[in-house]
Amino acid sequence: MTSLVDVKNMFFHYPRARISSGGSSWTLQDISLTIDLQSTVGIVGESGSGKSTLVRVMCGLLRHQQGFVKFNGKEISEFKEDGANDLRRQNQIVFQNPRRSLDPRMTIRRSLSEPIRALQDRIPDDEELVASIERVGLGREVLTRFPHQLSGGQLQRIGIARSLSVNPTILYADEPVSSLDVSIQAQVLNLLMDLREQLGLTLVMVSHDLGVVSRMCEEIIVMREGQVVESGRTESVLSNPSSEYTAALLKAARAASLERMTGD
Amino acid sequence: MPDNSQIKQASSRFWKRLRRLPLTLYLGGTLVTLFVAVALTSFVWTPYPPSKLNLTNRLAPPGSPGFLLGTDRAGRDVVTELMLGARNSLYVSVVSTVIAVFIGVVIGLSIAGSRQIVQGPLTRLVDVGLALPGILTALVLATKFGPSNNTATLAIIIWQVPVAARVIIGPARQILALDYVEAAYGYGRTKSFVLRRHVLPNIGPLLIVLSSVMFAAAILIEAALAYLTVGVQPPTSSWGRFLNETQSLLEAAPYLMFFPGVAIVLTALGFNLLGDGLRTVLDPQQSRSGVS
Amino acid sequence: MLQLRNLCVTIDGHEIINIDRLDLEPGDRLGLVGESGSGKTMTAKAIAGLLPNEAKVSGSVTFDGRDLLTLSDRELAKVRGKRIGFVFQDPSRSLNPMMRIGKQVSESIRIHTKLKGDAVTAKVIDLLRQVQLPNPETLIRRYPHQLSGGQQQRVMIAAAIAGDPELLIADEPTTALDVTVQEEILRLLISLSEQRKMGLLFVSHDLGVIRFVCNQVAVIYGGNIVESGRMEEIIDRPMHRYTAALLAANPGMPKDNNFSTFIGKRLQTITGSVPAVGKFPSGCRFRNRCQHVTESCSTTPPVATSGADHRYLCWNPSGEDAK
Repeated sequence: MTSLVDVKNMFFHYPRARISSGGSSWTLQDISLTIDLQSTVGIVGESGSGKSTLVRVMCGLLRHQQGFVKFNGKEISEFKEDGANDLRRQNQIVFQNPRRSLDPRMTIRRSLSEPIRALQDRIPDDEELVASIERVGLGREVLTRFPHQLSGGQLQRIGIARSLSVNPTILYADEPVSSLDVSIQAQVLNLLMDLREQLGLTLVMVSHDLGVVSRMCEEIIVMREGQVVESGRTESVLSNPSSEYTAALLKAARAASLERMTGD
Repeated sequence: MPDNSQIKQASSRFWKRLRRLPLTLYLGGTLVTLFVAVALTSFVWTPYPPSKLNLTNRLAPPGSPGFLLGTDRAGRDVVTELMLGARNSLYVSVVSTVIAVFIGVVIGLSIAGSRQIVQGPLTRLVDVGLALPGILTALVLATKFGPSNNTATLAIIIWQVPVAARVIIGPARQILALDYVEAAYGYGRTKSFVLRRHVLPNIGPLLIVLSSVMFAAAILIEAALAYLTVGVQPPTSSWGRFLNETQSLLEAAPYLMFFPGVAIVLTALGFNLLGDGLRTVLDPQQSRSGVS
Repeated sequence: MLQLRNLCVTIDGHEIINIDRLDLEPGDRLGLVGESGSGKTMTAKAIAGLLPNEAKVSGSVTFDGRDLLTLSDRELAKVRGKRIGFVFQDPSRSLNPMMRIGKQVSESIRIHTKLKGDAVTAKVIDLLRQVQLPNPETLIRRYPHQLSGGQQQRVMIAAAIAGDPELLIADEPTTALDVTVQEEILRLLISLSEQRKMGLLFVSHDLGVIRFVCNQVAVIYGGNIVESGRMEEIIDRPMHRYTAALLAANPGMPKDNNFSTFIGKRLQTITGSVPAVGKFPSGCRFRNRCQHVTESCSTTPPVATSGADHRYLCWNPSGEDAK
């Protein structure tokens, strides 16, 4: 399989990070991994593991200090001008809290058209926007609304529609369903699965929930305190974890989950 | 076509919302409207022509025939002087506040959007500006440029710009840390776009409130500077100078100082109350009946 | 020990909660499960007497023979903390950041017990030990921000059980915590409940967590308890359609490492979303979203039972389908 994103020995720290009590000041340490085209990858870990930071570095929102991060074979810090726009277009993110990822003062129509306005320098017409919104299961009437008039589930769908409006190659989802109720969570996860198949997307999903990741992702990366603990095919890693940490995560996740015979 | 019951419903909701508005908004609004109305009226009508002296009728007490509130030591009608003073205050405070807010916003947004390393020192610079003694600055300016309305306006601007900038920096930084700003960067927006189109609209309510408070300050400062005779000079009327003149009349006409004094206080109070009322109304935390 | 009867809470003319019956026996761990907008937190607040002033309440909340709704504020304050303890969701918001841990727990002790002076400190250390915090002697001098989320929550639990309550009400106590920490805290709550014969009312949206902790469960939707009974019974044979749908929508974890059967499988969803307050349909509140709705559903369903203790409000329950 062709590798879309290639990370090698990457180190990252936030600009003013100074950890005083021992420990490293690197938020991400010595990260090496690859994301293959059209794969589904889950990044799991607890708070402080750096999983959200990793995603932002991989898609180019944060600049790493050491090592390399290559997109389609080219180091992402070398994408300039038009290339930079293209990098942005191909790497889109969906955020955790849908209510906070939309400007409360912009109509949905405006928020939805922002990526096209910014990256393609044109204003999308109504047809396009309606197609976009219907693709995520919403009707055209939400276009005239403001975020505070809509529910969390609707807003998250809009967030997904927004990021897909520029036809990205890879979609990063940072805890996309953590702030949603179980029944809405199911709707959004199904939607992501459907869209991924329809559009041939590469999907990288950050989650603390092993149950969600075992449904959505064929590959899994386990992180702890800024380092990759383990990675590989979800099936193998989770049925036979080679690291104690992964085993501990699994045990805890199992304890507080409903066990099911099959995925149906 | 909306039918009668819908119209009735809509208008009763309108009145309901009007009743819910805070008292400060009404009080402040009334005072400010009064102030602006008086100031604007002075352009088309005053009881007596500006600076008309009535040397035969000096220091007439309030209630004297033809002079509702009496006359000052040069025989000028008090009501006329108040109206003209209002006009002057309005002019100076509008010009200075608009300019100060504009410059303050530009500086505040630039600092909020600047890189981490420089943000601290730049904010400290603003703090230095805040610490500058305003009256002294005004006096220095008056020495250099001569006392006038423009000097006063300039002094107020220099005084108020750091205030506006300082108020803006915090909230602007908070908004810059929000998810929708990060999302904007994610689809290629530049920082300058984000500052103009995401941060600025979202601090709109804050700016409105800030402006009313700065208006109040401008009224007071203009009066203070005129009182110190570094502001507008005669023959242009000003509340501050009027107040100054009444000082020496404490024995002859002690009541006279109340007129400009009360005018200054009520106007500044009006703007402060208005700002307070607007803040309550525009505060997005106000939930009607949030139930969870 | 705790009995809710015909509890009805109305705010602004809208009926937020209408619970005909809910029971908790001594030593029981009862899970109250619902999504946002279900009224589960309001129910906990109603029991605690912490409803907003505009709320109108009717019915009875009987705790150990006394109706809490009829008590005055002072009497209620005596019950709260001493006989009913509370643990809330985000410990970093419930702990005073300016006060050392020891002092915060000791306040609880001072109010609810007659201990003074050194005895109080000894009790603080003892409580911290009971919630399995290491080195309690040094911990009491720390400030909240120096503790991890899990440790903070343990401190909250310590403060909650300081008065030796018979009932502990926990509202989403582990939602803000990492999964490994969550397991520890849940085990702690179970062991405290068992050792002290303390009842536990666990409010959460997470069925997996509730199943781990509780032996009884009540499902709340639109302010109504739509189903209640023993934990395993409800999981195995849910009667109300909403309960069944909630179970089906839960991602869950594969049994016996059957991960290959999970990958790519769609979850069963519930159409639509929870209506806003006041916008629920008449009759069965779930009928607009139910796949098995019938004509009778437009009238309020009667209470039906299935075996001992299993109550539900459904005209067309899932138990009737061939499985």
